[in-house]
Amino acid sequence: MVARFFFFGFGSIMEFVAFVIAIAIANQALKGYHLSKEKTLLYLNISFVLIGTGLLVDGLSTLIVLLAHARRLFLALFGIGYTINFLAQVVAYGLLVFAYIHQARSVGGGPALAAAMPILFFERNAVSELILIFLLVYIATQTGINYSINKGTNALLVFGAFASLAVAHGFFLIYTVAPIFFPFAQIAQLFGFILLLAMLLRVNRSR
Amino acid sequence: MIPEKQVEQTKTTTKYRSQFRIYVDVMQVIQREGNQAKPTRILYGANLSHDRLVKYLDELKGLGVIQESGTDEKLYSLTQKGIEFMNNFRRVESFASAFGFKI
Repeated sequence: MVARFFFFGFGSIMEFVAFVIAIAIANQALKGYHLSKEKTLLYLNISFVLIGTGLLVDGLSTLIVLLAHARRLFLALFGIGYTINFLAQVVAYGLLVFAYIHQARSVGGGPALAAAMPILFFERNAVSELILIFLLVYIATQTGINYSINKGTNALLVFGAFASLAVAHGFFLIYTVAPIFFPFAQIAQLFGFILLLAMLLRVNRSR
Repeated sequence: MIPEKQVEQTKTTTKYRSQFRIYVDVMQVIQREGNQAKPTRILYGANLSHDRLVKYLDELKGLGVIQESGTDEKLYSLTQKGIEFMNNFRRVESFASAFGFKI
């Protein structure tokens, strides 16, 4: 019981920290949007608000389940928290993919990711993780290309962050068959957000 | 800082500079010239026609981000508000650029 508390409690704390960083990134993107009215910054803002919200909901639901000593009544919260987090991330990363496509001037119909599908709550599973990995690999590739062009440290940090998030979801995928990988996934996820925080601090330090 | 209605994007953002981008380009030229730029330098630096230069300089003066001085030959410089705007713009540009977005 104590081991489980630390196992998932550790994950919750990491998710709260990642939530704070995601909201800080969203705030910076919103400031940029107010200044420039550039839509890609608005997409970035919405993406990180969604990512942050998903992480907060997942972290809180896990914490509630732990504090309720995993009573059966509360166990459904695991699924609800994860489902909300998953949907938030799919829409958020989908929106980022759309922003990159929009930037590449080949705007098609729309993100089409917020599909009106019936919501069934589910726990972490291989299919949902594969969807997130697919989106994150695309974003990591785009940010990697951006780094290869401008060679800036900030671009490297953003590339590192999305690559790290992709790796984190790779660990979450493995976690579905080998639970021991859960802490590695959480560490990789937090590391990704710390890289984004480092970029944010560098941007705000420079004048 | 710059009113929303004046930051309207052209329909095809790909080929034409937005009004916002032109404002920034003009202000960047002024800064590059040591915060004292002649209209001809701005015209070439920001790649504008004479008519459009006059229009944008008037708009920027109206927004209080640049000021005019000189009698024989006009000189343009950034006001404190303009300097602050450019500092904020650089932060935003650096942030957007880190993600690979151009503004």
